[in-house]
Amino acid sequence: MSAASTIHLEPQAAVRGRVAIRNVEIVFGSGKHRTQALAPVTIDLEPGTFTALIGPSGCGKSTLMNAIAGFVFPSQGRISIDGIDVKGPDPEVGVIFQQYALFPWFTALGNVKFALKRLGLDREEFERRAHEALAEVGLAGQEMKYPGQLSGGMKQRVAIARTFSGAPKVMLMDEPFGALDAQTRISMHSLLMRIWQAHRATVLFITHDVDEALVLADRVHVMSRAPGRIIKTFDIAHQRPRSAADFDMEQMRMRGEIHRLLRPPEE
Amino acid sequence: MAVSYPGASEQFMTLIRPLASFAIVLAIWSGVALSGAVSDTLFPAPWTVWSAAVEMWNAGTLTSDIAISIERAVIGFAIGASLGVLLGVVTGRTQVFRTLLNPFLTLLRPIPAIALVPVAIVWFGIGEGSKYFVISYTVFLAVWFNTHHGMDFVPEIYIRASRSLGASRLREFLTVVVPAAAPHIVSGLRLGVALALLSLVAAELTGASSGIGYRLQEARQYIRTDRMFALLVMLGVIGALVDYLVHRISRSLVHWEQA
Repeated sequence: MSAASTIHLEPQAAVRGRVAIRNVEIVFGSGKHRTQALAPVTIDLEPGTFTALIGPSGCGKSTLMNAIAGFVFPSQGRISIDGIDVKGPDPEVGVIFQQYALFPWFTALGNVKFALKRLGLDREEFERRAHEALAEVGLAGQEMKYPGQLSGGMKQRVAIARTFSGAPKVMLMDEPFGALDAQTRISMHSLLMRIWQAHRATVLFITHDVDEALVLADRVHVMSRAPGRIIKTFDIAHQRPRSAADFDMEQMRMRGEIHRLLRPPEE
Repeated sequence: MAVSYPGASEQFMTLIRPLASFAIVLAIWSGVALSGAVSDTLFPAPWTVWSAAVEMWNAGTLTSDIAISIERAVIGFAIGASLGVLLGVVTGRTQVFRTLLNPFLTLLRPIPAIALVPVAIVWFGIGEGSKYFVISYTVFLAVWFNTHHGMDFVPEIYIRASRSLGASRLREFLTVVVPAAAPHIVSGLRLGVALALLSLVAAELTGASSGIGYRLQEARQYIRTDRMFALLVMLGVIGALVDYLVHRISRSLVHWEQA
């Protein structure tokens, strides 16, 4: 399991989910209401890697993610996935939202089935895959519960099961654990690592939690305050599973440096 | 989510509370009647009202009036509600209507049902058509307005989730947009039911020869306040029962929507 946890991957996995972000700038409004949400950004997400994007709130990190998801369009520059330009939402690009975005009128199982529909499976396979997806996130036995009956952590598990069951090659996560308490968050980290290593999607993970970024990611991009630019990039080659409680000297050094980069300028 | 079960005493209280409230009102009403402070002709005693109700029941008019009134309300509601939902679903998801409709609706909404009666008579005569028109128009406006807003304010995050999960536009509409708007649609329908009963009496002023509204008019001509009171109480009881029923149905329809 830990053999696959570095950024060096087996060749066949390397063809899927290469995200190229080239000189992407995003501007909202026009005239005097014109605001630059994102200064031109160029980054690549290598297939199967886990990249964290960290920055102060309002720096445009969610805007960048929304552009990769096809929810908003860059004012200039281009975003492509495996060489194909992003033109709108695409089931190959899964999204996990901080607010879960589960459909409250469907059960946990119904939410997963919503994503599985597009795969055109036969009845038996469809049912089996839906149940498996929930079992994989530790929700066996909770299939018929409605989102309103689940805790925040369980809701996000359903959302993870739902999105991964559609077999996306890119996974975008917008502060997915931001609303959870610290204990739940740590268990979600190991759950996410397990699911990600089993499914091997290219992950872009947005957070403002430095430890979270260092525990999860192969690479951490730090963004400036608005309008956001990438100001520094850290590569993290440490073995997984990692824990913020067992950081070594190098991880501590990175943690300190990222905190200093994120610190607001002294007035 | 914690679910609390009411204890036996609590259940007893929810049963006893409305009964106690009725008993107190009835006692005050009886006291006023017995004191002789007001004339029984103008303000009849509870027992006078009761015997008037029994009298109408025995004559067979009470049941036939209620039946015809409910029939009008149901048909008027069915026409108005189905048109309201259909139109609201279209206008709520169409950009042109989203921007153009509100000023128009703001103008239409304050017009009370009773103000439509003269128009209804000219357009549909004094037959059943004018009653259906007044009721269905009132229902239609409320249902349309609520449906339109429900469809307009579907949270963007549901649409984003649906599209990034690969749903077609049709599937998105049927299994995301409509359920997301359902709480608004259902509350519009519930308001529509209440309005159907409220506009019923106004509708029956268009020259009816049966129904609760007609019977109220008739009682006025003979100064039968006892009958009027009996009919008013009947209207209240029917309204409360229907609202309770609709509330139960709507809660199971949009069970995920917690107050």
